[in-house]
Amino acid sequence: MIRPLLLLLLWLPGSALAFTLGDLQARLNQTDALAGRFEQQRHLADLDTQLTSRGHFRYRRDERIVWVLESPIQDRLEFTPDSAANIDDALGGDRRGRDQVATLLLDLLGGDWQALEERFHLELSGDAQGWQVNLVPKSAALRDRLSRIRLEGGHYLNELTLHAANGDRLHVRFFDQHPPAEGVDASP
Amino acid sequence: MPRRERTLAWLGSWLWAAVLLACALGLAALLRDGLPADTRLTAMLPEDRQSPLIERADTQLGQTFEDRFVLLLSSPDLHADTQVLAQALTAAHDNADPPWLARLDWSDTDLADQDPREDLGKYRYRLLAPALRQAIADDGGQSLVEPALRELFSPASQPQPVIDPFGLLDHWLGQFDDSPIQAGNGLLTLADGNRTYALLIGQLASSPYDLTAQQTLASIIADFERQHPEASLLRSGLVFHAAAGARQARQEITTIGLGALIGLIAVLWFVFRSPRVLVTMLLPLAGGVLFALPITLLLFGRLHLLTLAFGASLIGIAIDYALHVQCHRAVQGASFRLRQLLPGLALGLVSSLLAYLAQALTPMPGLRQMAVFAALGLLGAWLTVVLWLPRLTTPAHPFTARLSRRLWQLTMPRRRLSPALASLIAALLVGLVGWQLETDDSLRLLNPSPASLLEQEQHVQRLMGSNTGNRYYLVTAPSEAETLARLAELGATLTRWQREGATLRYTNLADSVPPPDLQQANLAHVRQLYGAPLTSLFDRAGLPARLAEQAREQLQDVPVLDVASWLATPAGRGQARLWLGDVGDGESHFAAMLPLADVEASLVPRLERLARAHEGVTYVDRVERLSGLLGQLRQHIAWWVAAAVAGLALLLAWRYRRWTWRVLTPPLGAVLGVLGMLAVAGIPLNVFSQLGLLLVLGIGLDAGIFSVEHARRAETWLAISLSTLTSLLAFGLLAFSATPALHYLGLSCLIGLALVWLLVPWVRPHGGTIAKEGQPHDT
Repeated sequence: MIRPLLLLLLWLPGSALAFTLGDLQARLNQTDALAGRFEQQRHLADLDTQLTSRGHFRYRRDERIVWVLESPIQDRLEFTPDSAANIDDALGGDRRGRDQVATLLLDLLGGDWQALEERFHLELSGDAQGWQVNLVPKSAALRDRLSRIRLEGGHYLNELTLHAANGDRLHVRFFDQHPPAEGVDASP
Repeated sequence: MPRRERTLAWLGSWLWAAVLLACALGLAALLRDGLPADTRLTAMLPEDRQSPLIERADTQLGQTFEDRFVLLLSSPDLHADTQVLAQALTAAHDNADPPWLARLDWSDTDLADQDPREDLGKYRYRLLAPALRQAIADDGGQSLVEPALRELFSPASQPQPVIDPFGLLDHWLGQFDDSPIQAGNGLLTLADGNRTYALLIGQLASSPYDLTAQQTLASIIADFERQHPEASLLRSGLVFHAAAGARQARQEITTIGLGALIGLIAVLWFVFRSPRVLVTMLLPLAGGVLFALPITLLLFGRLHLLTLAFGASLIGIAIDYALHVQCHRAVQGASFRLRQLLPGLALGLVSSLLAYLAQALTPMPGLRQMAVFAALGLLGAWLTVVLWLPRLTTPAHPFTARLSRRLWQLTMPRRRLSPALASLIAALLVGLVGWQLETDDSLRLLNPSPASLLEQEQHVQRLMGSNTGNRYYLVTAPSEAETLARLAELGATLTRWQREGATLRYTNLADSVPPPDLQQANLAHVRQLYGAPLTSLFDRAGLPARLAEQAREQLQDVPVLDVASWLATPAGRGQARLWLGDVGDGESHFAAMLPLADVEASLVPRLERLARAHEGVTYVDRVERLSGLLGQLRQHIAWWVAAAVAGLALLLAWRYRRWTWRVLTPPLGAVLGVLGMLAVAGIPLNVFSQLGLLLVLGIGLDAGIFSVEHARRAETWLAISLSTLTSLLAFGLLAFSATPALHYLGLSCLIGLALVWLLVPWVRPHGGTIAKEGQPHDT
């Protein structure tokens, strides 16, 4: 009776420690495609104002995210990875910057830690049921624009928060997430 | 020798020793920090006196690229290899004193500090991208509301609803975002088809002609290439060309210079068989260099490597004087008197000095330096010969006298050239030259870079889309505003041509700094946009109306962007080369450049017409202009030398009367002969072959003068033969140089000097010598 208990005791913390970024990546990698709804809140610190939008999205690993805004305006955005990925001057808004943010989003949603680790210090906490990842930019140039990113999830990524250096915050909540029906193309 | 004369000679020789001692001390002081050598071939080019403004524009456009170098690396392991190379460069910089590298950009964050967003923020309401201006003009800006809304809600943007709800600045900057340089994965990269190059851009701390920088850079790259044979590198930058040129020049100075010296010693040893005579022969050379070097350095500050190469060879003429003295001495023994030789020596010196000083009047700084160096060297050598040589006793080997008699017998032609036949041949040659000889003033002559390096240079320039400004518009106007307006007007025409399908690129300062009038109009447009469209945008986004008011308040007191403010920003610094600013002498006068690139040849006449149609606009083709200057220079030299020869002919006629043609035939005949051969062979005449002819003229005149002064003396003929042979050794070898300039110079000398030697026996006078009879007369 004691031996199984001891084994259990030894095993328990081990299993908690064993939940690594690798595991998380493997978990997220299981889903090649995903569809769901989102609610995006942009908090503009200087103006003390919120911009809230809602819609649905479809995601296909390493290919694209289709981001469909439903309110307050209708719009359809499509993000694809750009070969020359760079996010260092990403949050500016000119065209190249946008492509780079797209790559960042694809990496974040897909949990591509290897790509992210080149640019961020990653810190994982929690367990397989409820995990959090904190990303802090490595380069000073990127830190000038982006102070940190926080991801939260369980089976899928549930929440994403980008903290801009100027105090602005972009918070995206994902819900009703499910793999899209087999054979259905990712585009809505 | 009378007593007074002896005292004078004694005094002169000591005085000369004191002068040379002072020169040696001065030289030592000047060379304390090493020889301030200059390897710039363009330093040889003349300053354009007629258009100093174009000269300034040329210099400024060229300078930016002068101290920059670019390396493109392609390798299977691009990331690691680039890091190794960049670290090697920075490490070499850190260990160097003084530093040679001002800046090295290679990682993807290196160019991030050039983000102009912050610097331009406050001007944004006056900077309107053409597309936006058009949209506002079309419907007051209503069509811009929809994209602005999308921007507000896109997860990938960072909207600023109060400062810039329509993203004016992003649109403004977006139109310049056509750089082929990509930043990513820790590197700066350039794509060439399906090949990706890593990009390293270096900025030298000193001049690209700085030998330390050249050597450090070369050794790092050589090490890297040895350790990474799988990687391939493309180089671009003046520093690489300068290094190649300097390496070649140094190599040739060593091989050609040494070859000439060894040949010289061998010949002199064969003739005189005495080490002491050899030393006395080289003494004038040393005296000449010792005299010329410190004075030239004092006058010019630094020494051009070509001056050293060319000038040192020129002093080879100096050995003529020693040769004549020693030959006469060896043959005449105790009966030798310097007095008899003095008229010939003096005339020889005067004629050479005249020929070289004509060069000193040219506008090419490099040539002026060569001329001064050569003239001083000749003077120094001459003084050494006249003041010192007679006082040094030297053994006379009987072989010298035997050799001189034998040579005389062997080379004495049975017939003489009659003046009539000489004139006929000369007339024929002049006709041939006038009919057939072509000229070449292209800049290739000045460019010693190997073909592979030039290819790499072009490849890199093409990939980077550089605009080196070889063709440009120079725009002048009474004010900054008017200059910008003229630039903008030119730009509008060029853009229209581009739209019509013309191949052409250009960089326009007025695209970055719109003329004040346009900035005012832009602001008016933005005010219009900030009316109903802004209200509609904020309504639909659900933003409070107070924010719209705040946004409108931003439009008060918007500063006007001026050229100085733009050029002071990190992003604008790159355009500083396009702006000359206030160049006014007295009245206010502004100037700027609009460089053109990838211009197809058929477009050139249109570009020229465009310049003529606008006030204050000049079209400049740097390459064409420089070769034009080179051509002018060639003609200048030709006229100056012709004038010098005409003057000399008068001087010679005063002494030689009817024999003058005998003095002039060897030099002028040789020059004509060379020109004729070039004409027949189809080799165009260029400035360097013409410089070679100048040398032929100098040596030929010496030969002509001595052959007439001492017509019946075998020893004079020996001296003349030795002089042409030694000079042929020194300059004939130059014909094998890979530097185009030296090659053409050498070729002229090779042919010309041989002709001088062949001509002298045919025009030598029959009768007695002038020296014996005091007055010349024909027999």
